[in-house]
Amino acid sequence: MFHWLEKNPFFFSVGVFLVIAFAGLVEILPNFAEASRPVVGLKPYTVLELAGKEVYKKDACIACHSQLIRPFKSETDRYGQVSLSGEYAYDRPFLWGSKRTGPDLHRVGNYRTTDWHENHMWDPTSVVPQSIMPAYKHMFTNIADIETAYAEAVTVKNVFATPYGDEFQGTRAAWEAHKPKVLADAKLITADMKNKDVKDAVEAGNIPEIVALIAYMNRLK
Amino acid sequence: MNALMIKGLAFAAVLMIATLAVVMSMDIDLSDPINLITMIGALVIAGLSAGVSIKYINQMKTDTATGELVDHSWDGIGEYKNELPSGWAFSFLATIIWALWYWFAGYPVNAFSQIGQYNEEVLAHQAKFEEKHKNADAATLQQMGESIFLVQCAPCHGETGDGLSGKAQDFTTRESKEQILDVIANGSDQLKYPMGAMPGGMASGADAEAIADYIVAGMKGEAPASYGVCAGCHGADGTGNGGTAPNIADYDNTLVHSVLEHGKKGIIGAMPAFKGRFTPVQEKALATYLHSLEN
Repeated sequence: MFHWLEKNPFFFSVGVFLVIAFAGLVEILPNFAEASRPVVGLKPYTVLELAGKEVYKKDACIACHSQLIRPFKSETDRYGQVSLSGEYAYDRPFLWGSKRTGPDLHRVGNYRTTDWHENHMWDPTSVVPQSIMPAYKHMFTNIADIETAYAEAVTVKNVFATPYGDEFQGTRAAWEAHKPKVLADAKLITADMKNKDVKDAVEAGNIPEIVALIAYMNRLK
Repeated sequence: MNALMIKGLAFAAVLMIATLAVVMSMDIDLSDPINLITMIGALVIAGLSAGVSIKYINQMKTDTATGELVDHSWDGIGEYKNELPSGWAFSFLATIIWALWYWFAGYPVNAFSQIGQYNEEVLAHQAKFEEKHKNADAATLQQMGESIFLVQCAPCHGETGDGLSGKAQDFTTRESKEQILDVIANGSDQLKYPMGAMPGGMASGADAEAIADYIVAGMKGEAPASYGVCAGCHGADGTGNGGTAPNIADYDNTLVHSVLEHGKKGIIGAMPAFKGRFTPVQEKALATYLHSLEN
């Protein structure tokens, strides 16, 4: 049998491939299936948080900030517990990043608060004197697109069976019914903020990007 | 002893002397077992290289082809029928036995957790850290506190701990007049001291102002009469009756621990809880450092 294989390089290659592929399958697949399940207690992003995630993507925060804490003591001392695959189950796409010009943000909600983010996004050097991060003042006036964020939630619910409730439907009536909930979330954030214009905008029913972004930052725990 | 043997031994001697020369010239500390084992390893490798080279070069010079050929010919290349070398066979058997142990006893399928191992290592490290600094002196605690402060606290409280003009708690004083008036008016139940919640409105108007001025000024001299209502829990000197109520005169270990444990939301803004992020020694170090900032 083996003499025959040695004289037939093609079938020999096929055999080698099968053996190695089998080893790969038993090693990778069970682990992958286990790790990609959401961790216990993980909730899908609220619409306001999703809108904040869009701001995060749009303004390319990922270019300087990672969202993945590696298992080194120096990192867990500074940022908190090691990141688990299951924590990213509802991230579409995940925002791990590969560049740390700034610090990791995967658990920033554990050690920064709304008022800090407000000061920091308006003028980073006012809280961190050596910071090279630019100011993001436009976030205080640009209005977040919560309608698209709602559409995103409905899409991932339909396509990936992300566990959003029954009230998430792809109809205008469903969105109109959900909108007050998003505004209520936004008011919880602005209650801790000082910027008068932002507070007024939310009262008037428009949510500035900064509010959505802070909701997203506070969610990262 | 033939010429090859002499050359081989000379080569080995040169390698060994070179190894020792490097060890001497770099002044390597051989009391460190890693260094010692590395040096012994280098010497053994030098000896083995020469020995193995001598054996095979000799064999190439003198060996003649003998033995029984197997039937098969691989494109004209033959192979002798040889016994499996016993050393190889024994290691192969040992590997199989070790694999059985590994699968069924050592690390059964799915029994290993990388996170678990990491957590165990961190716990062991922290226990070692606590043991090492059990009786740390004030200077060590001060230094440790400063380094923790610069990484974990400075982003909000500022590098000098001055609270960045009102954006966070100012550690150069205990509290500001606005903060005291806010707590007197609204009460507080955030730090979970044994004394329990402080109700709002225990003093008001001029009385509250007098209390606030007295505390801000460092609680020196005659206390205003209205301070009596505070002294019931916080003590006549404001230090909190030995940890039953928050210390309003100074940053002490209990206060720092309570704020880290529960977080705090006041008139300035909110601070998240840092529960479990620091070991008891590190909390003590932070308290030592904060105390030094105030004075």
